[in-house]
Amino acid sequence: MATRNRTLLFRKYRNSLRSVRAPMTESKSGVGPVIEMASTSLLHPKRSYTPVSTEDPANSSKGAVTVGLPPDWVDVSEEISVNIQRARTKMAELGKAHAKALMPSFGDGKEDQHQIESLTQEVTLLLRKSEKQLQRLSKGGPSEDSSVRKNVQRSLATDLQQLSMELRKKQSTYLKRLRLQKEDGGDLEMNLNGSSSRAEDDDFDDILFSEHQMSKIKKSEEISVEREKEIQQVVESVNELAQIMKDLSALVIDQGTIVDRIDYNIQNVASTVEDGLKQLQKAERTQRSGGMVKCASVLVILCFIMLVLLILKEIIF
Amino acid sequence: MALVTSVRDYINRMLQDISGMKVLILDSETVSNVSIVYSQSELLQKEVFLVEMIDSISASNESMSHLKAVYFVRPTSENVQKLRHQLANPRFGEYHLFFSNLLKDTQIHILADSDEQEVVQQVQEFYADFVAGDPYHFTLNMAANHLYMLPAVVDPSGLQRYSDRVVDGIAAVFLALKRRPVIRYQRTSDTAKRIAQETAKLMYQQESGLFDFRRTESSPLLLVIDRRDDPVTPLLNQWTYQAMVHELIGLQDNKVDLRAIGSLPKDQQVEVVLSSEQDAFFKSNMYENFGDIGMNIKRMVDDFQQVAKSNQNIQTVGTNIASLKLYSCKDVQLLVLVTVIICECFGFTEDMARFVDNYPEYKKMQGNVSKHVTLVTEMSKLVEARKLMLVSQTEQDLACNGGQGAAYEAVTDLLNNESVSDIDRLRLVMLYALRYEKENPVQLMQLFNKLASRSPKYKQGLVQFLLKQAGVEKRSGDLFGNRDLLNIARNMARGLKGVENVYTQHQPLLFQTMESITRGRLRDVDYPFVGDHFQQGRPQEVVIFMVGGTTYEESRCVALQNSTNSGIRFILGGTAVLNSKRFLMDLEEAQRISRSGSHMV
Repeated sequence: MATRNRTLLFRKYRNSLRSVRAPMTESKSGVGPVIEMASTSLLHPKRSYTPVSTEDPANSSKGAVTVGLPPDWVDVSEEISVNIQRARTKMAELGKAHAKALMPSFGDGKEDQHQIESLTQEVTLLLRKSEKQLQRLSKGGPSEDSSVRKNVQRSLATDLQQLSMELRKKQSTYLKRLRLQKEDGGDLEMNLNGSSSRAEDDDFDDILFSEHQMSKIKKSEEISVEREKEIQQVVESVNELAQIMKDLSALVIDQGTIVDRIDYNIQNVASTVEDGLKQLQKAERTQRSGGMVKCASVLVILCFIMLVLLILKEIIF
Repeated sequence: MALVTSVRDYINRMLQDISGMKVLILDSETVSNVSIVYSQSELLQKEVFLVEMIDSISASNESMSHLKAVYFVRPTSENVQKLRHQLANPRFGEYHLFFSNLLKDTQIHILADSDEQEVVQQVQEFYADFVAGDPYHFTLNMAANHLYMLPAVVDPSGLQRYSDRVVDGIAAVFLALKRRPVIRYQRTSDTAKRIAQETAKLMYQQESGLFDFRRTESSPLLLVIDRRDDPVTPLLNQWTYQAMVHELIGLQDNKVDLRAIGSLPKDQQVEVVLSSEQDAFFKSNMYENFGDIGMNIKRMVDDFQQVAKSNQNIQTVGTNIASLKLYSCKDVQLLVLVTVIICECFGFTEDMARFVDNYPEYKKMQGNVSKHVTLVTEMSKLVEARKLMLVSQTEQDLACNGGQGAAYEAVTDLLNNESVSDIDRLRLVMLYALRYEKENPVQLMQLFNKLASRSPKYKQGLVQFLLKQAGVEKRSGDLFGNRDLLNIARNMARGLKGVENVYTQHQPLLFQTMESITRGRLRDVDYPFVGDHFQQGRPQEVVIFMVGGTTYEESRCVALQNSTNSGIRFILGGTAVLNSKRFLMDLEEAQRISRSGSHMV
């Protein structure tokens, strides 16, 4: 696809016009130097964060371009993206830990489990925290700045949702493989449980256990407790993630729908601003002519009258 | 390379080299160009956090110098003026200017003059100056489309503007494709001739350096034709999905406005998007006829209901699991019982996990199903209310089959039918008049009178105006297949074979034109070359530009032709996308102007 760059010609014209203008503008004051904006990569995780070069906003005369500080909420969004990045690295670690735990080993495997558990918890915590911070971004009345905020919020919500889904997938594949592994070693235990459950409750105590069966039962008990813990953990994390997803889905744009269209969003901003203004005006009007106000004033007047009557009564009697 | 991809590439290139938070500023035309190929979520990924129109930017004084401004506008004098003011009081940190067509040197001069703060970092021309709705169909969305019907003397400056816009659009298409074509035009149309000649002047003389691309073995072909050579296609009622939606409800920039529909189901958005790029169901059904669509939608709804039912189970079980308390106890008996329960629940947990994973998909599917069901329901209602099955059968007969007497009877019956709406009556009479213009003028007059008496809002003489514009003397193509022997024979063969669907038997004239090009038999007499161009052999790429507008029926024809792999790739474009309402509106406007013009004379 063809393009044509006109920047050189533009610069040539600009420079020649500047030299034409320069002798005429000696009297003009306050033409400040042009500030080169350092590239701020506020939300791109791959690039490092370089600070914006600032100049005192009070210095702004008509000529100079003031490069002011970006508004405060940008810091919040920066924090969120840093958290997302941290969550991503932790998830990579989690993936490695999963792989290690699945490999056949002679050890107990308890440290692996512990590590996996702690990593999972950390990631879920990070996601939860980011999500809460995300909600804070959405304040602000109808203005251009609030549109920017809303869009930043949406973009971060999409990233968060993707991360949550990745985490879910990792967990489910890990559990599947774990189950397959444990099943191979756990058939014995299953049979035992199956046969035991058929026994009556009363007769349970009467059955004599041999030592062999006792040890088997103890082992199966341990395995069951472990599985119980795993399942509990999975259920909890599934619930949490489901909650996060539900909250996020309100923010994330549904791709392919009308909300994902640029022209719709431009029109909508204009109309919501208008609507918002109309609502405010209506609210103001109703409040002013509110029935409550009338009621209150009537009551106050009545009180006053009663007070006067009371005083009169006292005076007369 | 499809047109949609070209525009997307342009936008990607605009945004990729600029880091940091950006604001994208568009004008009223480029907003359509961009919205139809690029979504809001993709913009957010590229860190564009605000999109504004160039008109409303100046309204606010808020300084947002932490944002970089990316302008993508048409190089009109109005836009240049607005830019002047905005550059003089810059609100943003940096300004990157992209224009969708060629800039004049004077315009660059004006911009350079106003950029005292030197905030402009680059000025580029990125030629995405057309609306690429489908891969092989583009439009220019021009407002005053009726001008092509009027002679030049009526409104010379208006026609010049019209012609300039068309030339700009065509030039942008070829620059996006990086080709320079051989140009042919329809001899009988003055507007087409003028546009063809001005395009040739631009490509071969004024900007010949810019258009000097690597030559391929056979040059592509640009064919400029006139809508009036085939006035039948826009007047017909349509029965394939995309064309039908545009005809009955209206499709603008791939969006459908459902506000006119009385009662919408709950949760249904007022506007919906029908894009073949984003909606897989639409992509496979956009060219199917109404009956098949109904079946496919029913299948889609059934599939969805299966998914919805299983999801409902999951939701209740999920809440149960959450409340299930796992007791850890030393008692083996209880432990065994609990273990069994847990094993069972584990199965449910898997399902629930799958539900959480698939929730976004589920939501998207639900939205999609609801959208298509609403559209098809609404169209069925309209078909029923306006008795379109009956009307369309007669229309198709008028367009495709012979028999003047029978046609007259049928049209008269429908004119007498109370439930047929005014616009349908008008269309029927127009179709009859176009076909049987010279046969039996008495009966034709009777129909005109009947129409005038039946439809109070009918503007007098509109049908006659149409005949004057697009009557049998004005047309060069063989619209009804009754001019040359080959076509007559073909029609007879088709009549003997029978048609599989009487409602979609019409083939637009464009189909014959494309066939002639494929066979290398496009007649020089009817479609002469501009200047001393010459085409060796068959072209491999053909852009057909229809002055006056295209229809979705024709775009379907082109898409089907392209899928036959004949070795030639066709692209269709027009000044607007017509349905019968729009075509009639253009006709009325042209008639009004020509009447007022003649009074002045």
